[in-house]
Amino acid sequence: MILDYILRRLGLLLFMTLMLSVFTFSISYLFPGDPLSNLSGVPSSNFAQHSELEDKYLYNSNYFVQYIAFLGRIFQGDWGLSFASGDNVFSHIVDLLPATLELSVYALIISIVVGVPAGILGSAYYKRWPDKLINSTTMVGYSMPVFWLALLLIMVFSLKLGWFPMSGRMGLLYEIPANTGFILIDIALAGFPYKGMAFLDALRHLTLPTIVLAMYPTTVLVRFTRESMLKVMDQSFIKTARAKGLNRRQLIIHHALRNALLPVIKQIGLQFSTLITLAMITEVIFSWPGIGRWLIDSIYQRDYPAIQGGLMAVSLFVILATIIAELTYTLFDPLSRNQAHGKV
Amino acid sequence: MAKFNIFSEESNKSPLARFWRKFKNNHPALVGLWIFVAFALLAASAPLLAPYGVNQQHSDALLIPPSWREMGDVRFILGTDDLGRDVLSRLMNGATYTFGLSVVAALITTIIGVLVGTFAGISRGIRSSFLNHLLDITLSIPSLLLAIIIIAILGPGLMNTVWAIILALLPQFIHSIRNLIVDELNKDYITAFRLDGASNWHIISRGIFPNIYEHIVVIFTMALSTAILDISALGFLKLGAQPPTTEWGAILAENLGLIYLAPWTVALPGVLLFLAVLSTNLVGDGLRQVLKARKAD
Repeated sequence: MILDYILRRLGLLLFMTLMLSVFTFSISYLFPGDPLSNLSGVPSSNFAQHSELEDKYLYNSNYFVQYIAFLGRIFQGDWGLSFASGDNVFSHIVDLLPATLELSVYALIISIVVGVPAGILGSAYYKRWPDKLINSTTMVGYSMPVFWLALLLIMVFSLKLGWFPMSGRMGLLYEIPANTGFILIDIALAGFPYKGMAFLDALRHLTLPTIVLAMYPTTVLVRFTRESMLKVMDQSFIKTARAKGLNRRQLIIHHALRNALLPVIKQIGLQFSTLITLAMITEVIFSWPGIGRWLIDSIYQRDYPAIQGGLMAVSLFVILATIIAELTYTLFDPLSRNQAHGKV
Repeated sequence: MAKFNIFSEESNKSPLARFWRKFKNNHPALVGLWIFVAFALLAASAPLLAPYGVNQQHSDALLIPPSWREMGDVRFILGTDDLGRDVLSRLMNGATYTFGLSVVAALITTIIGVLVGTFAGISRGIRSSFLNHLLDITLSIPSLLLAIIIIAILGPGLMNTVWAIILALLPQFIHSIRNLIVDELNKDYITAFRLDGASNWHIISRGIFPNIYEHIVVIFTMALSTAILDISALGFLKLGAQPPTTEWGAILAENLGLIYLAPWTVALPGVLLFLAVLSTNLVGDGLRQVLKARKAD
């Protein structure tokens, strides 16, 4: 039963990655310019070089053979060269992805820690002032464009008060060897050099981007948790429990929470895809050296191999996160396993 | 919860009138609706209302703060930017681009979404399975990322942004419409209608649509708020509208360098953007609450 479900999901994952790779392959033909140099990242200058590339990329065979060769190169880690830097796109992605992931994970943690309890509180005080306060605050946060929020925070906390730096991951004073790419972990691995000052500095750099990035998912989680709690609180078994004489606290903690938080788990996983997208904007504003900023820069520079590779990496990540969220949800909630496909 | 009618008065008002009555009682939603209407009017008539031309420069009045400040000038109510252009006129014209184009994009999405969603809802077998799988893939990618992908192919520009946003909003829209149709198809009154010999077209147009058009409006407001956010975000990233187009996100990006000198040129477009999204969300929330309350009746 569960195995069947997992297999079906894995099948879907395979299908999605296949479609994604077909799409990525085809955009090198959709982009303006010579498809061969779009694929390889080598602006072909002379005849010998060109024919060498044609041989390597099987350019004179039909599209299917080319696509198979493309898949083979993807698995070997040969994602072409970036027009802008001349380096391998894959190595760029490996360098940059951890920074984005780090930011997104911290933002996700904050949004869970703030959002879920706020949603529970809102439903516990349904239609009373805490609920109204939480509701209107989320409405405001939900409607706030992420780049404007970032600019407002920069105006207040960086320019006026000077509490937090407005760009980068780390002060230029400190030099931390990059092992994992996650800055906090790297500093911890290096044994908190500079008497822990580097760690504090990294935290100060992280604060504003994390808050900005966490805003939208937090409001989504608050609204979702509240709705889910209200739906559960309206059901018959809650009425039965209340008729048995349980007080409100017991009712919520022992009966409502467990049932209401199940869909929230899935929602948390789905937030990851939104986070990665919003992270692109946040990175641009805060000059965060992540994959989003690099991707946007590549679009400015018409760096087609980089756009191709970046899109594939980001989309693959989003798809993986979605599938993992669904799988964990299914592991916890047996009822959801019977649902057919076509639901995300 | 069991509900009792204390007064046995019959309400024979039309569904729309009852809908409006419930909506009216939700004051935040009503305020949202007024702001929404104001934006719509502004978007339609901005060039007539604006005091100055969009790119009219006043070389004697550079970087004048809003008129309520000491250094302000009453000729320029919201101040001027570094080229001496009136901020108020630019922002008013921005409504046409950001708000107006978003409405157009959301409307086109609605038309295509309803058509394809209905088709997906009534189709069975391999066609439906294929559509659903395709939706699964695109749904897991957020609309802004999808729009950025499409922009990467089409190249930056305002019209490309609109197409990208329409394409990016569609999967979510089709999915919601399809779910609505499938839910409705499983109900008894549709089965009865079918047994009476109604054709598919009759079932859709006479049976289902009168019952779901309000839901479509709710989905439309959601699409609209996403469209506004996406259009301005792309403008801000310099992938959408290019300066000197007065799209609010583009104005914000253009004035980013003045954030120290002239914070109002950065703050004001953001305020308008926020108000536009907020009013749309308030209306959408109000509509949803009325629909929910009516279900409970």
